[in-house]
Amino acid sequence: MICRAAPLAALRSLTGWIPPVTAVPVPLFPTPAEPVAAVLELRNIAKSFAATAALKDMNLAIAPGEVHAIVGENGAGKSTLIKIMTGVYQPDAGSILVKGASVSVRSTQDAQTLGIAAIYQEPMVFPDLDVAENIFISNRAQGAFMNWKQMYAAATKLIEQLGVTVDVHRAASGLTLAEQQTVEIARALSLDVKVLIMDEPTASLSAHEVARLLGIVRTLKAKGVAVIYISHRLDEIFEVADRVTVIRDGQHISTRPIAEVTPDGMVKDMVGRAVDIHAVKTAANLHGASVLRLENLGREGVFRGISFDLAMGEVLCLAGLVGARRTDVGLALFGIAPATEGRILIDGAEVILRSPAAAMAKSIAYVSEDRRKMGLAMALPIFANVSLASLGKLLGAFGIINRTAEMAMAEKYRKQLAIKSVSVRVEVGKLSGGNQQKVMLAKWLETKPRILIFDEPTRGVDVGAKAEVHNIIRALAKEGVAVLVISSDLPEVLALADRILVMREGKQAGIMDISQATQENVIRLAAGTDVRGAA
Amino acid sequence: MAGLTARLKSWEGILLVLFLITFFGNIWLAPEFLTLQNQINLFQLSIEKIIVALVMTLIIINAEIDLSVASVMGLSACAFGYMTTNGWSAAGAMVICLGIGLVAGTLNAFLIARAKIPSLVVTLAMLIMFRGFARVLVKDQSMGNFPEWVTHLGQNALIGPFPLSLILFAVALVGLGILLHRTGFGRQIVVIGTNAEVARFSGIDVARVKTVLYLMSGFVSALAGLLYAARLGSVRGDAATGFELDIITMVLLGGVSIFGGKGSMTGVLLSILIILNLRNGMALTNITGHIQTGVIGILLIASVLIPNLAADFRNRRAKA
Amino acid sequence: MRIHPQTLRLIALGLALLATVLFFSTQIDSYLSPRMFTRITTSAAVILPVAVGQALVVMTRNIDLSIGSTVGVVAYLTGQFLGLHGDLNPVLVAGLAMGIGGAMGAVNGVLVAWGRVPSIIVTLGTLALFRSFLVQYSDAKTITTASLPQWLVDLPQANAFSIFGLDVRVTVVLAMCSAIAMGLALTRLRAARRFYAVGSNPDAAVMAGINSAKVVFVAFVLSGVLAGLAGFLFLAKFGNITVVAGLGFELKAVAAVVVGGVSIIGGSGSMIGVVIGTVLVDTIDNSLTRWELVSEFWRDALLGMLIMAAVTVDTVMSRQLGRIGLKTGPLKAGPL
Repeated sequence: MICRAAPLAALRSLTGWIPPVTAVPVPLFPTPAEPVAAVLELRNIAKSFAATAALKDMNLAIAPGEVHAIVGENGAGKSTLIKIMTGVYQPDAGSILVKGASVSVRSTQDAQTLGIAAIYQEPMVFPDLDVAENIFISNRAQGAFMNWKQMYAAATKLIEQLGVTVDVHRAASGLTLAEQQTVEIARALSLDVKVLIMDEPTASLSAHEVARLLGIVRTLKAKGVAVIYISHRLDEIFEVADRVTVIRDGQHISTRPIAEVTPDGMVKDMVGRAVDIHAVKTAANLHGASVLRLENLGREGVFRGISFDLAMGEVLCLAGLVGARRTDVGLALFGIAPATEGRILIDGAEVILRSPAAAMAKSIAYVSEDRRKMGLAMALPIFANVSLASLGKLLGAFGIINRTAEMAMAEKYRKQLAIKSVSVRVEVGKLSGGNQQKVMLAKWLETKPRILIFDEPTRGVDVGAKAEVHNIIRALAKEGVAVLVISSDLPEVLALADRILVMREGKQAGIMDISQATQENVIRLAAGTDVRGAA
Repeated sequence: MAGLTARLKSWEGILLVLFLITFFGNIWLAPEFLTLQNQINLFQLSIEKIIVALVMTLIIINAEIDLSVASVMGLSACAFGYMTTNGWSAAGAMVICLGIGLVAGTLNAFLIARAKIPSLVVTLAMLIMFRGFARVLVKDQSMGNFPEWVTHLGQNALIGPFPLSLILFAVALVGLGILLHRTGFGRQIVVIGTNAEVARFSGIDVARVKTVLYLMSGFVSALAGLLYAARLGSVRGDAATGFELDIITMVLLGGVSIFGGKGSMTGVLLSILIILNLRNGMALTNITGHIQTGVIGILLIASVLIPNLAADFRNRRAKA
Repeated sequence: MRIHPQTLRLIALGLALLATVLFFSTQIDSYLSPRMFTRITTSAAVILPVAVGQALVVMTRNIDLSIGSTVGVVAYLTGQFLGLHGDLNPVLVAGLAMGIGGAMGAVNGVLVAWGRVPSIIVTLGTLALFRSFLVQYSDAKTITTASLPQWLVDLPQANAFSIFGLDVRVTVVLAMCSAIAMGLALTRLRAARRFYAVGSNPDAAVMAGINSAKVVFVAFVLSGVLAGLAGFLFLAKFGNITVVAGLGFELKAVAAVVVGGVSIIGGSGSMIGVVIGTVLVDTIDNSLTRWELVSEFWRDALLGMLIMAAVTVDTVMSRQLGRIGLKTGPLKAGPL
């Protein structure tokens, strides 16, 4: 069914396409005058791992109370930079200054004492402890004895200061991702933090949660906390940042007040060349016969009433807020968390999908959002990962694997997808993110899927790689694969989809053709009547 | 992979050197050590443990553990003693004992693979429970008087100079080695051990693989219990108590990662040889069984600690 | 008014204990007597400190299987020391026992916390190592009551106070003190809350600037110290110490802790639960020996089943609660 040359063609036609930056809102806060004294300053920082230099001569000065965005492609050195500021890594050269005084940051504790804290994409909370204790767990100022009453009061006050409501008595295990982030921010506030680093804080948040987080960032700023804001979402940066620093290949490229920055200029600095960031939606693909049909599909207590037809060569996007249960529809189709009501029809015949194996037997493939957790066995070599989902066809007598055929299979994809590696015997964990993504794709292409589900295909992926992934998806559709894309990234949905199904709170809120879709009406459907704060 | 192979190779290299040291140490201590009969006896003394260690290798590579093996061995041995003492036919009793092993394996498999309770807890509880059943059967007695063919099978040579248990070990070693390193099922074991979620999202039936492994473990442990009873000629309620320590030590010393995903049958074979030779050497130098157990305990810890410290050392040097 | 699931768990546990006692009272003559109370409480008193220590270790997502051997070594060494220096102050003797235990716990702690060897491996190893040390060191000799000072021999019969005609022994009070002290620490002391934090999410603990290695180390040392106290109580209770002293205590302690509702994957649990769990396990143990219908050899089999039942109920319950939470609570992010 699917032509093997498809991904190859997709990669060759790499044009450096970049997803669109939506609106460019006027910054809500005026840019501060040139900073007086930096609250945190990095001077000539260098850091290498083995032979690779992660950071070279990095300079950065953070002014008190500013929101300082740092952007760069994956691998530009952002993570290393954060880890040096928080004491996880020690720099090879250069110095760190806090309020003009040279300091050494040897541990997370050191960083906290100096007033530097970080929150990450995946919140770090203690699920068994309640909100208040999560906030104050490492707070030495609280004294040696627990004063629960006072702690709850203090926690409530902190949370209120952030302009949100979270019950401080609740265990953290029951909180949403956004609420967990709030807890982390409150923890940092309680430690009287001077510099708060936010690493991709909105990657997993829905539109109105993002709006709320940006509100919190402004609150912090008003309290005089400097925020280092790291994000791939350029629109957010234009919304909150005062200054933007671009880094590339471990080097500082530019630092400019936001007013002097344009999206095109920023992207140019990031990738080192001019690129067209205004997407052109290609003409809708020619669709073949219906392959997949869902009739009132549901899973008890999770989602219900999902109905659609998916044709050969069509790209259907599931849009909605985080928590709308879109991934659960994907998991039901792949048999991980089977549906409990409604029907799934493939080529007009009803199928029961109770396990991934059953789904794979019906030529369904599911490219999960998290390579590390669900996609690839990082400690195993490339060949073992490529053959993972199609081991059955490599087995000979007594279930013995045909090693020659297995190697040949992996070699084929290494060449076709241009996986950069000396041999297919290299551990997948040693490859770069982009190459890992290709190995994961090879694994699923080898199963010759007719229905391909992509869950958040570009989460946390830099602008360049994003375009590459989008091109592959389009090429696959062109070859006749029926594609279902689950995405929280609205511009991505609008750029990829032939049709959009919007989900809200586990139900189908609407389905529309791309020709009728605008950001506004998708958001309205996704959020219901409440569109306040939606981006 | 190159790094992994190199590391495995180096660990296996260390094991090979250790084996040669213990082996030639034994020859030096007692020149008559080198006869075929003495070599066979060396294996015979721990034959039940080393058979179970082969299956334990698969389980630990699968990132699980089975602490109940020694109790299943004990239960099987005691059930055999109980039935033969109460007039059952020995052959029928054997079949029932192997059945008990499968039931024990099913119980473990159900709770671990289906109910998804950590294997550490499940098999710890089963360690206590199966030992309890063994005690219920034989109380504080010693049960023997097995038919002569049973003890003969357990103690004497079957083919050439080789007794049944040693032949079973050799067959299991080759069979399980091929299963682990060459077959699709073996690949599934390794992938699940590396990352069970990845395995599940790749269409591997994780629960089925675990179920098969625990059934194998239960069956082989019961078989080992029968061999133990046949070799000793009588059983008591504490038969095979504490064997899990030796068995897990053999596997981990063989370079199998306690976190799963890594390890080879070659490494485990080398580590078995080391431990057998070490025990023999200690016996030759009049070191008592209790000290031997202590030494095994130290080996167990060292087999995980030393690679960790080596990694730390490498990291520190890389940083400097 | 919502009842916290933990509270619910404790109530269920209390009811299970009550049901067990009522059941045996119908089966065994003069079961509900002051004598039986004393018998069970003094017997549970030896296990309780070990269970309290085990609970701390389990809270940090570890396990300590070596404590049975620790109890044996401490009881023997302390007994031997008293044979030579019988005039030593009782408080110092208890301190000595706890010190020896703490040192042994420190060995485990260092290997787990800084050697990064999984606790199951370390303590399985030291379980064998400590026991073989005891066998070798004692040369199969036995400590006898005759070599012990009189105050120690009299200690098990010493009454702390009586309530409703029930005698509460000094040893029981000592054991309860360890549980109460630890219970108070865990709810009142900020530093002690870190046991929960480390077990609940080790990565987050590092990010929050908590020295996880130190916390785990302290848990193992405390487990050793409390095993030392148990060793002292063991010496007092039995007087005769052989090389098998304390054998199998680790399993009873794990049983008490798990039955008492301490999560085996760390992060939660209470001392009240541990106390009830210990009493329940010990009640069953002690009652079986007097129950004519069933052989006392069923003890281990029942202990194993009890652990399994407790763990299964907890797993199923937490999964149910999780599902209800998903249904009624705010929508949770993430696919699974």
